[in-house]
Parts: sequence; C-alpha cells; structure tokens
Amino acid sequence: MKKFSFLVAIIFCLNAGVQAQINSNTFGMLEARHLGPGTMSGRITSIEGVNNDPKTLYIGTAGGGVWKTVNAGSVFKSIFDKYCQSIGAIAIDQKNPKVIYVGTGESNMRNSVSIGDGIYKSTDAGDNWNKIGLDSTEHISKIIIDHSNPNIIYVSVPGPLWSSSKHRGLYRSIDAGKTFEKIFYINENTGCADISMDPRNAQTLYATTWEFRRLPYSFNSGGAGSGIYKSVDAGKTWKELSKGLPAKPFGRVALTLAPSSPDNMLAIVESNKTGLYISADGGENWKEQSASMNVVSRPFYFSTLVIDPKDPKRVYRPALNFSYSSDGGYSFTDAGSEGGWVHSDHHALWINPNNTDQMYLGTDGGVYMSMNKGVNWTFFQNLPVGQFYHVQTDLKTPYNVFGGLQDNGSWVAPSQSYGGVSNGNWRDIFFGDGFWTQPDLNDPNTVYAESQGGNAARINLKTGLSVKIQPQQGATEDKLRWNWNTPIVLGIKNNKNLYMGAQYLYKSTDQGRNWLRISPDLTTNDKKKQNQEKSGGLSADNTSAENHCTIFTIAESPLDENLIWVGTDDGNLQYSMDGGKNWVNVSNNIAASGIPSQTWVSSIEPSRFDKNVVYASFDNHMYGDHKTYLGKSIDMGKTWTLIKSDEFIGFAHKIKEDLINKDLLFLGTEMGLFASLDGGTSWFRMKNNIPWYALVRDIQIHPKTHDLVLGTHGRGIIIIDDISPMRFMTRDISEKDVHFFQPEPMKLTQGNYADGGSPSTGGLVAPNAATIPPFQYYLKDRVSSGEVKIDILDKDGKLVQSIPASKRKGINRVYWNQRIIPPKVAQGTSPDYSGFVAPQVLPGDYTIRLTVGKNVYNTKLTAYHDDDDDKSYTLAERMLNYKTALQLHGMHEELAKEVEAIADRQKILKQASEKTKNNKTKVMLEEYYSKLEEIKSIMVPTEKRSIFAEIKRLREDISDVYISISSQEAPPSNLQLERVRLLDNKVKAAGRDVKTVVAKYGLKAETAIKKEGLISDPGANKAF
Amino acid sequence: MKKFKFLLLALSSILFLNVVKAQTADEIIAKHIEAIGGVERLLALKTSVSEASLDVNGMAIAVKMTQVHNVGHRIDINAMGLENFIIQTPTEGWTFMPIQGQASPEPTAPEVVKETADLLDIQGPLLNYKEKGHQVEFLGKEDFEGVDCFKLKLIAKGGAQITFFIDPSTYYIIKSISKTKASGKEVEATQTFSNYVKLPSGYVFPYAMTGVGPGELKISKIELNVPVDEKIFKVSK
Repeated sequence: MKKFSFLVAIIFCLNAGVQAQINSNTFGMLEARHLGPGTMSGRITSIEGVNNDPKTLYIGTAGGGVWKTVNAGSVFKSIFDKYCQSIGAIAIDQKNPKVIYVGTGESNMRNSVSIGDGIYKSTDAGDNWNKIGLDSTEHISKIIIDHSNPNIIYVSVPGPLWSSSKHRGLYRSIDAGKTFEKIFYINENTGCADISMDPRNAQTLYATTWEFRRLPYSFNSGGAGSGIYKSVDAGKTWKELSKGLPAKPFGRVALTLAPSSPDNMLAIVESNKTGLYISADGGENWKEQSASMNVVSRPFYFSTLVIDPKDPKRVYRPALNFSYSSDGGYSFTDAGSEGGWVHSDHHALWINPNNTDQMYLGTDGGVYMSMNKGVNWTFFQNLPVGQFYHVQTDLKTPYNVFGGLQDNGSWVAPSQSYGGVSNGNWRDIFFGDGFWTQPDLNDPNTVYAESQGGNAARINLKTGLSVKIQPQQGATEDKLRWNWNTPIVLGIKNNKNLYMGAQYLYKSTDQGRNWLRISPDLTTNDKKKQNQEKSGGLSADNTSAENHCTIFTIAESPLDENLIWVGTDDGNLQYSMDGGKNWVNVSNNIAASGIPSQTWVSSIEPSRFDKNVVYASFDNHMYGDHKTYLGKSIDMGKTWTLIKSDEFIGFAHKIKEDLINKDLLFLGTEMGLFASLDGGTSWFRMKNNIPWYALVRDIQIHPKTHDLVLGTHGRGIIIIDDISPMRFMTRDISEKDVHFFQPEPMKLTQGNYADGGSPSTGGLVAPNAATIPPFQYYLKDRVSSGEVKIDILDKDGKLVQSIPASKRKGINRVYWNQRIIPPKVAQGTSPDYSGFVAPQVLPGDYTIRLTVGKNVYNTKLTAYHDDDDDKSYTLAERMLNYKTALQLHGMHEELAKEVEAIADRQKILKQASEKTKNNKTKVMLEEYYSKLEEIKSIMVPTEKRSIFAEIKRLREDISDVYISISSQEAPPSNLQLERVRLLDNKVKAAGRDVKTVVAKYGLKAETAIKKEGLISDPGANKAF
Repeated sequence: MKKFKFLLLALSSILFLNVVKAQTADEIIAKHIEAIGGVERLLALKTSVSEASLDVNGMAIAVKMTQVHNVGHRIDINAMGLENFIIQTPTEGWTFMPIQGQASPEPTAPEVVKETADLLDIQGPLLNYKEKGHQVEFLGKEDFEGVDCFKLKLIAKGGAQITFFIDPSTYYIIKSISKTKASGKEVEATQTFSNYVKLPSGYVFPYAMTGVGPGELKISKIELNVPVDEKIFKVSK
C-alpha cells in the first residue's frame, strides 16, 4: 500500500529542517473522517432549547463541543469545532434566541473532567463565536440571563478543580458580556456551583457555593465555604440561608425553584445528613423531605434537579438513574425501561415549556427524548461524542478499531464496511468504563479489555465470553494498586508479550493465563497518597478513580523485546534492558530538564529507529499545571530535552513517532493534535476536519494503510486515511509552485464495500476511505485564475478520461474512477443512465497529465490487476469483459448518432411541412417524418410517460447489458454474449432501416423543399 | 440533483465576486467590487447568458444559465438527452427535472420564492447593499483551504443569508455559504469559485464552481447585456 516511490533513506535526509513553510494547510486535503460511534454517545453536560421554537436545541458535551439541532434531534450539527471542547453551560437569550452564551469547562468534577478557557458568545444562533472573557475560570457551571434585561447575565464559576484560585465565584455582566465583574466570592477554595433567578423578580437570586478539591490521589467535596445564599438586590448583598437545613459543613448543593410558583424551592444538600430539602417561602425556611437513593447519590457528580415549568409538584431528578416525583419531591419513581434502557449518570435536562410532556435528557451515554414526562425515553443515535481513553487497531482487511470509553465499556468496529461504518457495525465487548482494549495480533478471535481499576479480561470475539486475567497479589507483595486507567499493553517487538502494570509490572506470554511479575514496585510508593478509602469528602467516593502510586504507561521497544519502559502516575520513568531483571529510574534526569518531579508519565514512545532514543509525554494538570510537557532522550534516558512549541496548548496525553519517517511526530493533548515534520523542532496544529481543540487521548498509525487513528475523549474515533504525503513532504517540494507526486502502481478495483445501497434510515454512518488511491499534487498557492485538470492518456497518447481537479493550497487529491469516458446515449423522452457508466480500463501504462493554468506536468502510472490478491478472474476473462463492454459502449454511440440524425431530419421536415403550400409535398414530408419516427420509436422511447411506466426500447435493451457488464469484473455470461450479438444486429438493422427510408424519401424531400424554397439550404445539413 | 437549485444562489454570488488590508465591511466590499469590474460596470449589467458543463463521471452535462437583472433566472440542463430547467422570477418559481422523474413543471414554494427573490439581483447583493435593504457584517478573517479570507455575512432583505469568503490577495470571492429556511427547512449550501477570467468588457467572472451540482461546473462562455426574451421565464403547464 505504499503510495509513493520515494526511498525512505532519501526522505530522512530531505526532511531535515522542512518545517519552515509547512503547516496544517499544506495537508488540508487529508481530511479526517469521523467513525463515531453514535450507538453509544458521550457525556452530555448541558441542554438548552429555544422556548418559542422548541425543535431548536443546543447540546453541550463533556469533550465534544456544542451541537445544534433545528429539527428536534433528527440531525445534530457540531457548531463549536474551532474552540474548547469541554462545555459547562449554555444559555439562550429567549427574547432574541440568536444570542447564545457558552461557558467552557464542564463542572461535573470527576477525575477525568477537562477544563475550559472562558465564556463565548454568538449573536447569530451559533454560526460564529467570540470569546468574551473569564479565561482563567476553568469550569463554568451555569449561565443565566436576566429576563427583564438581557444585557445582564450571571455566570456561576466553581473554578479550578486541581488548584486554589481567585477566579472562582459568581460573575455578572451588565453589558451583554463585554465586561464581567465578580459579585460574589467566598475564598480561593470555594466556587459558585449554582445560580437561580426568581422569574417574577430579577432582583432575587439564589446561589450555592461549593468548597471542593481534587488531588491526584484523593477528592474532597465539602467545607466551611459551601452554602446556600440569597440576594434580593441583584447580587449586591447576600444572605446565607440556614433555617431548617442540616448542620454545616455542606458539600455541593443542587438547588431549584418552581418556575410556576417560585417561592417553592428544592435543594439536595450534601452534608453529613445529605438529603432533599424543601422550602415554600423563597428559601427562608426549609424542611427535610424524604428522598430515594437516586436523589442523594454522588452530589459532586449529579447536580441536576428540575421542577416542571408549569406544575410545581412535578420534580425531576436526573442522577444515577432518572427519577420523577408528582408530589413535590416526597416520593420518587424511576423511569421505565420499555423502549430502551436509559444510560446511567445524568447531568442535563431541558423541558419544553410549551409542552411539558416533552423533555431532553443528557447522560454519560448521550441524549434521550421523552414525550411522556420522563416515563419512557428514545435515544438519539446520531451524536458522535464518545469519550475514548485509548484506541488500537488490528491487521485485518479492513482493519478493526478497538477502544474503551468513559462509562461506555469497550468496543470494536471495522474501519470500513458495506455502505459505510454504521452504528450496527459497532460491537460492545466489555462492560464498565473502558480503557485499553488490545486485539491479540496472533489470535484474531481474542481481545484484551478492562473496566476501571485493572479489571482485565481475555475476550473471545466469536462467543463474546470472557475470562478474567487480572494478576493477583502474591504472598510477598503489597496490596496491588491499579490505576483507574490501568495499562494493558502488547509488546511491539514481540507481540506475544502481554503486559499489565499495578505498582509492579507483570508479563504474560500465554494470553494472560499465567503472569510473571517482572519488576519491583516501580512507583514512589508514597503512603500518604494511598488513602483512597477516605476519599470523597462528605460523601465517601472510592471507585478506583483516585488510586495512585501506580503504573500508568508501558512500552516495549520496537527494536528489542528486553527493553521495556514503564511510566507511573507519580513521576517515575524506569526502564529495563534485560526483560525486567534490572530497572533504571530516570525520573531525576527528567526533572533536570524542567519537568516537575511528580508529573504523570502519560505516554512513552521508544523509537523504532534507534534503541537509545525515547520520547515521553507528561501530564501535570492534576497539580494545576496545564503546560504541555514533551521530552526526548537520545541516550537511554540519561539526559532529556524538553520539546517546546508556541503552538502547544493542553496537557499532553500521547506522543507518537511515525513508522516510516523518524522525523514525523504526532502529539495529542487535551486541546488538540499537533504534528512535526522535523523531529520535534517545529510543530503545527492539525485541523484537517478535526476539531481544533479535540481531546486527543491516543494515537495509532496503521502499518498497512498508513492511516492516522485518533482516540478522542469527546469526538469518538477520528481517522485520517493515508498520511503518506506527510512522510514525503520536503522543503524542496514545499518551495515548488507545483509538485506532482509519482503515483504508486494502481490496482484496478471495482470497490470493496459497495458504497451504494439504500440510504441510511437514521443513526450515524461514517464514510469509508476511498477505495481507489488518489492522484496527489502540491500547489504552493491556491490557483485563482486558470484551469486545473487531470487527463489520463493511454500508451498511444489517446485521451482516456479527463477530470476537473482541485486548486487548494497544499496537497490536493484527485480521484479517478479507473474508467473511460461514458458513451453518448441516444436522446429519448426518458433518462438513460448508461451516460454515467463506462467500462473499467485494462492493465497497462498510462500517462497522467496535470494541467495548472498554462503549465503541464506529466507522470506515469501503471495499472494492474492484483492476481495474487484476487484470483477470481483471469486476465482473459477480464479482457472479455472489457471488450464486450466496449462493444456495447460503441453500440450506444452508434445509436445516438442515428437518433440525432433522425432528429435533425425531422426538424427540417417539420418546418418544411408547415410552410409548404403544396398538399402533395406536405403529405410526402409528413409521411417521411412518420417513417423516421417509426424507426426512432424502436430505438428510443418517444412518448412522455411517468417514470413508473417504463418503456423499453433498443436503447434500454443495450443499457441493461451494458450497465451489468461494465459494473462487474466477471466475464459476460454465455447468454449475455448472445444478447450482445442480437442487440448488435438490431442496431445494424435499425441503421439499415434508416438508410432505406432515407433512400426512399430523402432526395424527393430535398428536391421539393429546394424547389419551393422552404428551407434555405436543406442539403447543407449532412443529416438530411 | 437538488444541488442544481443552488445554482440560483451561486449565480447571484458570482456576479459580485472579488481583496489586502481592508478593515471594514464597506472597504472590503468596495475593493471587491472594483476587482470584478467596478461599480459602473456592475450597475450597467442587465443580462447574462452563460454556457457551462458539469462533469459527472466523465459525462458532460450541458448547462445554460440565463439571467435578467431582477426579472428572472433560468437554468437549462441537458442531461441524458432530457431537457430540464429551473426558473425563478420575483413572484414565482418552477422546476422541471424529468431526469428526476418529473412529468411536468412543478412550482417552487412561495416562501422559497420570497426568501430568495433578492438573489435575482445579478449586479450582486453586495453592490449598494444598504440601499437594497440588506445588512452586511464583517466577521473578521477565516481560513479557507489555506487562504486567510475576509469573511462577510450578508443578510438579504428577504431573509436569505450568504457568508462570503474573500481572498485578500485578489478580492475575489472564493467561497460562499448560503443559508435559507423557507418552508421550515433550514438548508445550507456551500459553493466555491475559481478560475477567474477577465473579459474584454472588463468584468471578471469565475469560470469554475463547485457546490452547484454534482462535480465541478465549468463555464465555457459568458455573454453580457445581450437581448433576452423574457418569455423564457414563463411556464405553460
């Protein structure tokens, strides 16, 4: 599948220092395709609808930006691709619903939550956005707009999760977002979690404050700063509400008021007596209400509580499950599962105020709609915002993509499929939160996957059955510590090696049936960081998410299976050169390069070109440090160079070295994908139909197809098919006005995945990669004036096909369908599709001529049949197919010629018969016309009828056979060949019939017309 | 083949095409107008007849586009031996696409006619846009295929929206995004424009477009201010 014939060695030399003029635009046409899936979606953080047009909704996601529907969910469109993808809150100015505010930075403060970079505003319903401030807030939980004055907006800011910050609090703008002022602030560890406004009186506000903090090894929700506050002067002064509420400290409080009766309020108060509290007097007095487990579960994560816009007694609690109350929160009922299970973990609910039966729910698995007040739900399978932690591929054709997602298990799907990759192609293979999912490259029926905390299994893809393979604690070992996102890694040099890491490294050579511990504790084993059972704060929360002092990444050298690198979540990077017998810790050397000592080692990439070279990415965001740390060592970790770029944004997740070109590197961060063509000296952000700030958690390069496969935490799987041009771009090429890349010999194919078929009836369908490789050329600048086209010429210089070609700056790709020019078809009263169909060319040598304005660039192409790959047909059979198709192509053209000549004659006859004053001539001309019409009606349909009343004439008969044969590689059948002979005879017979009629009438008609001067010179028309 | 319908939008775009250091919408528009022929020329433009072809898998589909300023647009498409047409005037619109199985011309929804009537202005909506009742907003710069374009959004009096991407080096429009939502259906269409040619008469037109049908539309001939029989905008059912 090599696309170009450059020698690898040459590339390496030429690529040095290539970066100067090369950026994302250079490779703009390498546009990514988004594989989805839509069958399981991702975490939804905010849903807002337009009250007066409730089919228009905006969906905020945890890592997939903002999506908009204008048709109640039939179609969702991503409208925030150029900005931060973590969304905390959305607000619509309901008086002018073109004005939308988006607060970035989700506030469901789990371990894997991303961060935001401020608040954005659109004044044209999401077409265009401007960042308007609050850049350092990191997390925004809610935005409300003053219903009496839309220039006043309030923004609740919990603020940073991993550090103290003065940027927390409640902000207000009085000028529609031009400026913001902080109007309520407790302290640098307490933010504003929620804000509500009395719909009767915009002066009355309710705010909740929340003291919280995560460390890499613990979480705390609750403290003296948390509370419930009320202001009656639009935020100038605040009074804490306490009467009837439990004793402080509080944790996170979910607060809501009944829109139809705003003195009625509900609050879920996290405390030492977490529960649902109710007020009937605007929060002045509270009383405890009975509550279900679902109401009080995980307050830090489930902070949504909604009262029906019209009915103050109807209360909704989207949380672990969806529950509703019809008695003001006294009792709750869980939603039904008829019609489909509703994914657990809910964070957003929007109720249509005009029809409160209708509501939209946002969960960890996507968006649902209910039309019966939340009793039953319908899932939207067209929102591809899945949150992958890792991605992997196998070596099948087409290759499969494997990955694990936040709260959505582990999945596999083919990279290509019939008609595209649809939701039905995705297969769920393991439960829980999914992480590393590794296909066994030696056993195509086996895959390794896990749920959180290293709960790993070997899965039989044929049966779906699994066997637990997680290594167990031995007699001489400490209690095993497994990361939330435990690495399960196959060897690169020896892919029979399977590795897992707790604090020790384990290796199996028999698919996880037996394990060998091959290291001591490779972490710092800091006991202060191992008190996870006390994690959570007021609500205990120990789900393995805070497990620490664990191995986080493992990499076997592609050059030596005994060279193994291991990185931990507490800053250690160690290697063994003897398969695990001895270990060297290089963490101090890394710290010397400027990377903080406790930083997570997020990925390690031992070079496949030099054993002494290793790259590693580091993630220190859990200590409040968002810098992009990328290191390189060329001496086995003794010294490290910190690779920097002004382009970098976001903490680093994954460094990937290309498989062919050692200087081509990719870096995935929390805010984008970056590439370097010069070994890391310079970098550019890759846009390429990839959300600019996509959370790129993992990167793979497929060894056969050269596809770049991204696992994103919010936009599912993204593939850039065949990145070869990135490997072969050089400074010399980039400085040329035009460079036509020499194409590899091209396999002739009629496709693998039947791209036609019935249109999708809904749900996400990802496109396949092109079956036929493109012609590729580089343009230094976009061509504004002058034509650009590609001609294909056969070995004799005869034009085979001509294709309009793209004119964009950078690499262009033009696809030839490997066919000749379709035939001209005879004109009738109904369409004939043969005009779009042409025979596939035969193997041979072709000249490819690229024209750019006045300049021409030629290159050679060899087309071939891959008889090794496809033994279905012999060359003789293929040639028979081609010859027959060409014969039918010729018959079409012959028929078209005859019909055109008849039409020309008939045009003259009609004019003349209308003009003649001689009855005898008129009769003769009309008779001639009729005789011609009679023959034409045998050749083509001549009467107008509905497409449902098919008329088959000679043209259609030819097309039946022509289209069949041209669309297949198989040789014609005996009866098809017989049919061709018959049709050929008919075409010839029709031609003879025309000649006979013309012989009978032609001269007579011409003479009569000339004699009367009916037409100036009928003979000048050759057809007559 | 629905894309043919966007020919109307595209046609209105190509006539006001054509930018290095403009700071306001009006400055950009002025340079664009100058680049494509100038105010006087555009104001003198009354009719346009263009011949073109669309390449679909190597088959050339003949397209003829006839426009009379604020009177009517007609697009004739000859495909597979069938004559198809799309007509729009300020008050009505017709589509006849036997290639899609239509047996007789079908009327365009009145809402669509109303929303897109502004696009019959072959001098282009950007020319004297304020006098025409349109609004234009300068949205800054945005990359399109490696060109850092000026981005202008026009909201036409009738409601149609077109966002133009103008190449700062030439002041030609190289991309437009049209948005309509008549009949409750929000439709977004993207066209690109290239191969700009300066005619002897001083007008500058793009001779290649995408997004107006399957494949690329290549213009072979443009005649301006030639007589057009306005009967061609009438349909007898």
